[in-house]
Amino acid sequence: MTDNINPIRLELLSNALASMCDNMLGLVVRTARSTNIKNTMDFAATVCDPQGQLVAQGVALPAQLGAMTPALKGCLAWVGDDFNEGDIIASNDPYAGASHLNDVFMFKPVFVAGERVAILGLILHHTDLGGRVPGGNATDSTEIFQEGLRIPPCKIYEKGRPNVALFRVIEHNTRVPHRVMGDIKAQIATLDGGEVELRTIISEFGVANYKAYTTELLNYTERLARANIAALPDGVVEFTDWNDDDGAGPGAGPVKLHVTITKRGEEFTLDFTGTDPAGRGALQPNLHFTTSCACAALRTVIDPDIPNNAGFFRVVKVIAPEGCFLNPRFPAATGARGQVGFRIRNLVFGALAQLLPDRIPACTGGSEFGIVFAGYELNEKKERKPFLHLEYHNTTGQGGGPVSDGQDAGPYCIGNLANVPVEIVEAESPLRVEQYAFLPDTGGAGKYRGGLGIVRQYRLLNEEATVQLRSDRHLHPCWGLHGGQPGAVARSTLNPETDHAEKLPSKFVRKMKEGDVFRAEMPGSGGYGHPFERDPEAVRRDVLQGKVTPAHARAAYGVAVTDKGVDLAETKKLRAAQSAR
Amino acid sequence: MKSYRLGIDIGGTFTDVVLIGAGGELYSKKILSTPRDYSLAIEQGVGELMAETGITGAQVAELVHGTTVATNTIIERRGAKVALVTTRGFRDVLALGRFRAPRLYDLTYRKPEPLAERRLCFEVTERVDAEGNMLQQVDEAELATIAEALKTEKVEAIALCFINSCINPDNELAAVRVLASKLPGVSISASTQLVPQIGEYERTSTTVVNAYIRPVVEKYVESLISRLSRMNITAPLMIMQSSGGILPGEVAARTPIFIIESGPAAGALGAQRLAAHVNLGDIIVFDMGGTTAKASIVRNNQLALAPETEVGGGAALGARMIKGGGYAVQVPTIDIAEVGAGGGSIANIDVAGGIHVGPRSAGAEPGPICYNRGGTQPTVTDANLLLGYLNPDALVGGDLKLAYDKAEAAMTDMGAKLKLSVTDTAYGIHLIANANMMRALKAVTSEGGHDPAKFSLVAIGGNGAVHAANLAEALNVRRIIVPPVAGLFSALGMLFADVEHQMITAFYRRLESVRAGDINAAAKSLMEEAHRMLITEGYTAEAQRNVVLHADIKYFAQSGALTMPFAGFPVTAAMLANVAKAYGDLHEQTFGYRSDTEPLQFVSLKIVGRGLSGTPRIPARVERAQERIAKEGTRRAYFGPELGWRETRLMPRKALGAKPVAGPLIVEEYDVTTVVRPGWSARVDDWNNIICERTEQARS
Repeated sequence: MTDNINPIRLELLSNALASMCDNMLGLVVRTARSTNIKNTMDFAATVCDPQGQLVAQGVALPAQLGAMTPALKGCLAWVGDDFNEGDIIASNDPYAGASHLNDVFMFKPVFVAGERVAILGLILHHTDLGGRVPGGNATDSTEIFQEGLRIPPCKIYEKGRPNVALFRVIEHNTRVPHRVMGDIKAQIATLDGGEVELRTIISEFGVANYKAYTTELLNYTERLARANIAALPDGVVEFTDWNDDDGAGPGAGPVKLHVTITKRGEEFTLDFTGTDPAGRGALQPNLHFTTSCACAALRTVIDPDIPNNAGFFRVVKVIAPEGCFLNPRFPAATGARGQVGFRIRNLVFGALAQLLPDRIPACTGGSEFGIVFAGYELNEKKERKPFLHLEYHNTTGQGGGPVSDGQDAGPYCIGNLANVPVEIVEAESPLRVEQYAFLPDTGGAGKYRGGLGIVRQYRLLNEEATVQLRSDRHLHPCWGLHGGQPGAVARSTLNPETDHAEKLPSKFVRKMKEGDVFRAEMPGSGGYGHPFERDPEAVRRDVLQGKVTPAHARAAYGVAVTDKGVDLAETKKLRAAQSAR
Repeated sequence: MKSYRLGIDIGGTFTDVVLIGAGGELYSKKILSTPRDYSLAIEQGVGELMAETGITGAQVAELVHGTTVATNTIIERRGAKVALVTTRGFRDVLALGRFRAPRLYDLTYRKPEPLAERRLCFEVTERVDAEGNMLQQVDEAELATIAEALKTEKVEAIALCFINSCINPDNELAAVRVLASKLPGVSISASTQLVPQIGEYERTSTTVVNAYIRPVVEKYVESLISRLSRMNITAPLMIMQSSGGILPGEVAARTPIFIIESGPAAGALGAQRLAAHVNLGDIIVFDMGGTTAKASIVRNNQLALAPETEVGGGAALGARMIKGGGYAVQVPTIDIAEVGAGGGSIANIDVAGGIHVGPRSAGAEPGPICYNRGGTQPTVTDANLLLGYLNPDALVGGDLKLAYDKAEAAMTDMGAKLKLSVTDTAYGIHLIANANMMRALKAVTSEGGHDPAKFSLVAIGGNGAVHAANLAEALNVRRIIVPPVAGLFSALGMLFADVEHQMITAFYRRLESVRAGDINAAAKSLMEEAHRMLITEGYTAEAQRNVVLHADIKYFAQSGALTMPFAGFPVTAAMLANVAKAYGDLHEQTFGYRSDTEPLQFVSLKIVGRGLSGTPRIPARVERAQERIAKEGTRRAYFGPELGWRETRLMPRKALGAKPVAGPLIVEEYDVTTVVRPGWSARVDDWNNIICERTEQARS
């Protein structure tokens, strides 16, 4: 600890800033219109130092871990010295440090006695900012110009006065102006509220002390991160995973994603060199989103209580060559980068598993599944009314781990989205959900089994609907580790078990007719360790619980399960015979 | 003459017993809980209290009980062997849950396993659609097969929850009849008879939790009643609910989901009734114990209710934060924010030289260093002792001698590592604990849009009044109330509650398509049942029954609903016409904005039936009848770098009068210590509350 820094005061400042960010989030929840924002907490509040270094961030969603700094840098580069009291800068431009068009960043400077002492930042996911597909999540856009309104860094407030032109442009470029303008206003009100509270904190500390203590907060975080990283083994490890395609339809092969992680002493480098070049579609994250997702995975192997600020980023370096799939050049589309964002996290885990084999589980299950049903239905008065139902099932369960099975439907600690209750789906949309359940035999076999895949089956009750699917893992399964098997792959089927059944790809936009059934089988997680090392009793328990069939127990685990229990002699024979092969 | 009322609150560590007489004379007892059979500590505690006071069981007119038995059954996995019967296609509804992770970045996190294992989850062919149309009658032959399997498995309890049964319960109820006839003696919980609300996971989870804990709670209530009758206590046993009302023991035992937050609810409810009785206006209830601190608010005499809670998860900052850590229970629950900060919270220094307090707690065993029971790490209580806030010889009521020297030595060591004096270290720990608790206080006030400066703070729990003044200054709160027996206030507060029955029926309809008659038809039988139950319990006069119909309503695209009362029953067209505006007002009050152009959606109808007692639930004044009076005198206490060490006056509550005494002052009692900082004064009001008031200007 630096001399003349009192550790008590440092902890109190850290707590006060975290509490201030929480309060800002509370303000957003209270004032924002869009329920999506509230349900998914898709926003982040931060305080930065006058130069733009991140000092504190409230409860950080994994996808927003590294988002604030590059966006602020883009804004500061544009505004130069003309950043004054009462200004608020807005930007959603992925090519000026933002992420995808729906995420609008806003920054407000805090001046005390004429000196810029801090900058407050707030990211909010906005429901719709125009573009060719509602919601901006299409996988097959090929240019950012198709995706909606691009707001380069510009002042939405200047010296306390609103920029009316910008407000009007936004209002006229969204399908849901009432909601989006309400959320924009909420975003501004929240920055104003945050400023009041930050001023109180600064005046309690005094400006000089506030500056000294925020500087120390970054140094302290760096020390904490270094000490944590130093405790991990050194090494250089690599991993490759594959995306089925680039999202823009037939014509392109699978996309190779590659990472090399170098852990030396107190620092980490994550280098994505070796990844395929950028493709055609909108699945590609820009460098900032790649960084956020990579760091999210990294944070799971160090103390999760390390504050998220610039001090942390001093010891972690992320490299993705410009023009590669994880850092595409202008004017690539980025709207559906959420899918590949999940893949980056698992890619980093795949490499970390070699550095820390006793800590990292096999691949999380799931196909990063997101589906939209949209169309027109007749209401009680026989009027045509639009309906739109959107749901995500990004993950299915946990991969088998070093000491235990992957939990079936276990939550994913670095992605956090709730499902939609079947009864709500049915009450609000012309859909019937016919099945939502585990799929036996789909968990990757291993000494520790991967979590089961999940099926969700929908029947359309309306005369017609447009269906858009964003998913993956139809070709490349969720991998196993240390001899463990991968989970079962994903499958999409229209009208299963009929004479007109049709196999569908992982990504599509198409029409469905009344009575059509769409069955989504989402993949299981990877297994850990060789399946023949699995305790036969554990296999029997899985059979008893209906998670593994006796046939699969025999084929994948070499275990003979009968009504009476495990047939040990037969099991021994099976395992010997299959090992000999 | 039957004139005493008995309140019993069982916590994880302590069992608190409070007895009050008609004149407000109060006796209390705090003893260690007996987790193997919680009713044992009750018999002991009540027995000892009666022996000390000479009051007999026959003199007890009323008995109210708050208990953690429901929660602990789940945490300790001691519940029944339970099976679930659900609609074909949805066998895994429990295990799938809602997919929320309560802790980010923790690879080892696993959500709690379902209370019904998969092989005991059965699907049956049946289906109702979202409008309630019968698509397929329940298959009775399949049910017969399931019944055989349940018999073979010796299942003790069954939960039933079918898709859309909250809209049309016919299939689910038919299945109940079939299973009940084939499996006599097996406890059956059906979702439509408990919480017919939309959301299949939450409703199923609620039903399974009920099925799982019901046999245990029933046995507990039975054993408790027999223990009480051995002590000649024949007054009916009433149990505190999570919503702040009380229920007859047998009713609560059948529907134990309603008593999950029994203890914390009692503290909040007691404070609300007290605030109304002595006209405190809006209050923040701050309850700080050994391991956690809790905060809730009362505005316009109303407690904030959340529509659901979770059981078996960790502490949560109220209803609005990320959830998924426990089992969902869809019953109205007082909205309480909780943080892991209490007297036992441990201070520690990390590898980078940073200091933190909690959430780890030394608990009651080994406890703080000064308890001299093997604790080695400094805690908040050790800090409070070294700051002069606590009596250095012994806790006044307890026979527990304190090891001041050991605490001082450990704090000196910690200070050396931080390059701080022992005083600065101790005060720092006190302040960091306050900063942690501030998160809970802000969660229910400023984060909800309420300026804390407009509230008074009611400090309860063993440590509440030690920390309240400092917290109040930081919140710009100018008045603190420390009620009598603040350290056992939950046991007292539950005696102020009314009998309350909650009933729910699904009503998922757009406002524009609803006529008053639809609502009345949906609610009529439940309204009648509420009256019937209250009449059975002795509330025979119309004026003694307050049965109110509420609706849960939301904007169409919104996820959470708000609960709104109707002005009367049956609902009239005029009342219905007023709903949109009233909802807008309520929404604005709650969230700070309204959205009058968005369509409104009814979610469910809720009936709250209260039995109103002929005599006041809250006495005119309470006073401890067996107070061990602490010595008056002075002690040095530390109030921060600006105010420094002050020679501080010590007084018992009895010595305080209506005339304010200026701080610094410490009021020592059996169960609680009140620290009155310089710049504050303290007096006692007519009800025997200590009222601390800020005499200096607010900070900044």
